[in-house]
Amino acid sequence: MFEIKVNEAGDMLLSGRFDASQVGYANQFFDKVITSTVVDFKELDYISSAGLSVLLVTQKRLSEKNQQLKLMNMNRHIQDVFRYAGFDKIFVIA
Amino acid sequence: MRKKFKRDINSLTEIFIFLDEFVAHHKLDESISFVLQLAVEEIFTNMVKYDVQNPSDIDISLAQDADQVVIELFNPDAESFDIHQAKEYDPSLPLNKREPGGVGIHLVKKFINKIEYDYKDGISKITLIKYLEKPHV
Repeated sequence: MFEIKVNEAGDMLLSGRFDASQVGYANQFFDKVITSTVVDFKELDYISSAGLSVLLVTQKRLSEKNQQLKLMNMNRHIQDVFRYAGFDKIFVIA
Repeated sequence: MRKKFKRDINSLTEIFIFLDEFVAHHKLDESISFVLQLAVEEIFTNMVKYDVQNPSDIDISLAQDADQVVIELFNPDAESFDIHQAKEYDPSLPLNKREPGGVGIHLVKKFINKIEYDYKDGISKITLIKYLEKPHV
């Protein structure tokens, strides 16, 4: 089960398992992001390369307008995924 | 444990249930569970993406002994593709030089201790071995 909620401030809250079968669903939300946005991983248990690609495409698009995703509250396994992929160098992670 | 899965990205839900059952049966910790999910998803989705017309199911086998978990993925009626020959991923590239794709196999290599490839009689087999840490005494 994977879910994205957007709060009143426009922050995106991810929960569950962000795997390859969820890319279409995730793109419905990330394609609408046009300014710098906080993405909260607090309730996200898992992410694979498919989820990383959704974030990468969004970050590249935003960077053309000097905007960016700001990622926060990753669990340690997801931190490892980001570090191994070198994504800790291309995202602001709090 | 061994089970066949339809060659479809939407099989992932069923695959994760299969992995969860294995993890629960062997009382494996959440770190191992995360690695198994990631490794199996990345290899399975690669087999689906690069051979989408193939009607054959993909077999996944899971086993554990004292100090390791062994995962085997059998891709029948497939072309040979040795995972060791996959293009090297560069994690140091700046954002503007990056393109989606290529990171999945790199992550498997980082998280898994040993990867073996075998191709015989049209069956492409990838074996992933994850060592289990011994409890500290």
